[in-house]
Amino acid sequence: MGRNQADVTVTAVVAVLAIGAAVAGAPTAVMTVLGLALFAAPGYLLSQLLIGSRASGLERVCVAVGLALAVPILGGLLLYAAGVPLHRAGWVGLLAGVTLAADGALFARRRAGRAAPVSWPRQWWRIPPGRLAIFAAAVLIAAAAVTLARIGVSDQPQPGFTQLSLSPAPQKPDTLILAVSNNQGTRTSYRLVLLRNSQVSETWNLTLAKGQTWQQSLPVTGTYTLTADLYRLPDLTHPYRYVFTHASRSAPS
Amino acid sequence: MLGKGGRHVTVADSPIGGTQAGYGPHRAATRPVGRSRLPVSVVAVVAAFGVLAVAAAYTAGRLGYAATSWADQLYWFGQLLILAPVAARLLSRRTITASETLTLIVIVTVAEYLVKVCYSPAAFTYVDELMHWRSATDIMQTGKLFTVNNLLPISPYYPGLEEVTSALASVTGLSIFTCGLIVAGTAHLLFVTVLFVLFRHVSGSHRVAGVAVLLYVSESLFQSFDSMFVYQTLAVPFLGLTLLAVYRLAQPQAAGSRAAWFTVGAVSALATVVTHHVTSYVLVATLEVITLGALLTRDRTLAAWASILALVSAAACGAWIVFAAPSTVGYLSPFVDSAVQAFRSILSGGHSGVPPPTSAANGPLQNQALEAAAVLIMSVLVPIGWWQVWRRYRRQAWAVALAIGALSWYIVVAVRLFVADGSELAGRASTFVFVPAGFVAALAVIRLTDNSLRWPIIRADMRIRAPAVVAVAVAAALVLIFNGLVNGWPPYWERLPGTYQVAGFERSVGPEQIASADWALAMLGPGNRFATDFGDFPVLGSYGDQNPVLADAFLYTSPTFTQSAAQQVQALNIQYALVDQRLSEQLPASGSYFPIDPNAGTYTHPLPSADLAKFNAVPGIDRIYDSGNIVVYDLMGSAYYGS
Repeated sequence: MGRNQADVTVTAVVAVLAIGAAVAGAPTAVMTVLGLALFAAPGYLLSQLLIGSRASGLERVCVAVGLALAVPILGGLLLYAAGVPLHRAGWVGLLAGVTLAADGALFARRRAGRAAPVSWPRQWWRIPPGRLAIFAAAVLIAAAAVTLARIGVSDQPQPGFTQLSLSPAPQKPDTLILAVSNNQGTRTSYRLVLLRNSQVSETWNLTLAKGQTWQQSLPVTGTYTLTADLYRLPDLTHPYRYVFTHASRSAPS
Repeated sequence: MLGKGGRHVTVADSPIGGTQAGYGPHRAATRPVGRSRLPVSVVAVVAAFGVLAVAAAYTAGRLGYAATSWADQLYWFGQLLILAPVAARLLSRRTITASETLTLIVIVTVAEYLVKVCYSPAAFTYVDELMHWRSATDIMQTGKLFTVNNLLPISPYYPGLEEVTSALASVTGLSIFTCGLIVAGTAHLLFVTVLFVLFRHVSGSHRVAGVAVLLYVSESLFQSFDSMFVYQTLAVPFLGLTLLAVYRLAQPQAAGSRAAWFTVGAVSALATVVTHHVTSYVLVATLEVITLGALLTRDRTLAAWASILALVSAAACGAWIVFAAPSTVGYLSPFVDSAVQAFRSILSGGHSGVPPPTSAANGPLQNQALEAAAVLIMSVLVPIGWWQVWRRYRRQAWAVALAIGALSWYIVVAVRLFVADGSELAGRASTFVFVPAGFVAALAVIRLTDNSLRWPIIRADMRIRAPAVVAVAVAAALVLIFNGLVNGWPPYWERLPGTYQVAGFERSVGPEQIASADWALAMLGPGNRFATDFGDFPVLGSYGDQNPVLADAFLYTSPTFTQSAAQQVQALNIQYALVDQRLSEQLPASGSYFPIDPNAGTYTHPLPSADLAKFNAVPGIDRIYDSGNIVVYDLMGSAYYGS
């Protein structure tokens, strides 16, 4: 395969590597690079097959990007109709399949002289280094802007909060889940008091790290009112949060 | 047309702006005056500093300075850095090559997109984006299309955007948010580039194309909705590619490549249909207008190809509605009814039955003044552009079609002025209306600037007065673009991100809301009928995957439990009520506390706290969640259901 088929070679290698990486469960960094290349490959190859050199470079780029976006749309519908789940295996299979099929078709057409060999726009290489450096500076400044905005989000002062909940466990109507989540932004100590028909049933002293959740399953054994009062220490006078529910054991089926 | 080295050369029919040597007896007056001293690379750096200034203003807002005037001024200074150099270079008399024009357009598009990214750089917060984030997440989790989306039920039936995003997220391992930004940004840039290509083909001049795209940037949703992670953002470039394919199909030299271009056109049309309903109908309408333009100019080849692709698109639209998305009819019916009412209202003299616009809806006086100035400028430019089409392009089918399409500008203005809630309808339409209107207005801008240079008063001192003419053109363009920013999205009261606002939009999406929604999904499962307020509505529907109720104001605006409320709760099948205590502390930023609020715009005091606390005393009710500001009640075993 000569230099005029370099794009076919590169895209075929990308497709094969992406399949291998997906099967092997490669790390995200590897999948990101291969995935982006695999995502773009079908659009490029299909634009070469359809348009080739019969349009300006800008039009070819537009068609290539458009087809790259169209392949998952129309291909995804076909996968769905065929009953293939739209998870990584399905998408990698679709994109790699289209890439390899287009590679084969483009290779054959070029060998038969019915498609133009790969060519690169030469004006890219004529941009003076000084101007290129200024553009690079613009990219760096823009990246700094996005970084600054992200710092703003992470440093935005947010009032802390604590979540207290008492609700039926999913799929288990005869069990209640009592849960406390600490989002105060700091390690926090609580006292949780559970009352059954206004009588103290249980008490827990909790110290939760930032972002930590504590939870307890409570089997429902009759019909009664459960109230949970959460105190944020050292204040044991005023409940910081409270919830209540009317527990009732469902009739056995 | 591009000559060697990117310089443009004159095409047939002496197109306006097609040669910077001008035309007519005063050719010397409009001759370009050499290369600009402001290189495009420097414009890129200035624009990048503009983005940095806007990001700094956003950060100031987040750190508690959103209401300060200096933060607001920093934002506008940043926008000025982005826009003014680009406008000055595109409207300048100095020589500009096609590649420089394209680079300037890319700079302004990317810079404005980054401004949008900087507003929500860590997660989606725009309401519309949250809706599509939900659909994409569902595809990732289930591996299936057409899953239920309670927030935007129609969205799963137009899955193009979510398919592309979930494909990219699956093969790269990146988050849906990151992939959504990549897809939306790529699609937005692709659309603008295709517009430039089309305008250049139609006008024969990259100068006209550049100015036309600059005027398109002034469209009020360019910086926001048109680059958001929403289905229209991905559909419009497919619309553009279909038109590009039609243009190529009708070219005499396309004989050997018609099958290829037809394939590109058909694939793009199908992708449009699968991605967004309204854009696919606009595509059919646009192809029909092109057919009309071709018939008027007796361009039979173009008429044939435009008709064929119109038929293909219309058939695809019909088939998609019948076999995949029958709910489209019910979804769009209210909008169609509203549009029909709008036209009836205009035809019957406008104001009958239409409430006068409130200042809250239209913003501060200076915003309204800017809008009036922008409407006036465009309304003056379009007829001048029509005149130019008549003089120079009346045998050019595409230019005639664009001139016909530019009529829609006046329809949109009428809707905005004379129809209740017309701003919303007009704003949504501007994405499409500004394509023909921007082109026709660009012809006018170039004609006026070139012509005025021939006026004796200008020629008397060209060195001083010619730049003044360009400065006026740049100022007019900036008025149009700043109007788009001022009256676009986010609304003026959320221009800078900041602390939580009751019943706002992006500023009502905070950690406590998201944590509560996550809890609801984890503990209650998806799809529960929830009563909630305006601000929590999109978060609960997206992060929480719940099914929030729209008309629930009755539940929050009485101090005690009532039988009438109980009947409505049962009728609406409301299972849970989310109560945000801050509704009793702040007035609603948007004017409405609830998604459908009968008292919208009339609140003078926050809701009484008794109205929100009453749930604690309703017999049988369960208070199942409490995070301080947000409390969730289970209504199902309570007096609301007669228990």
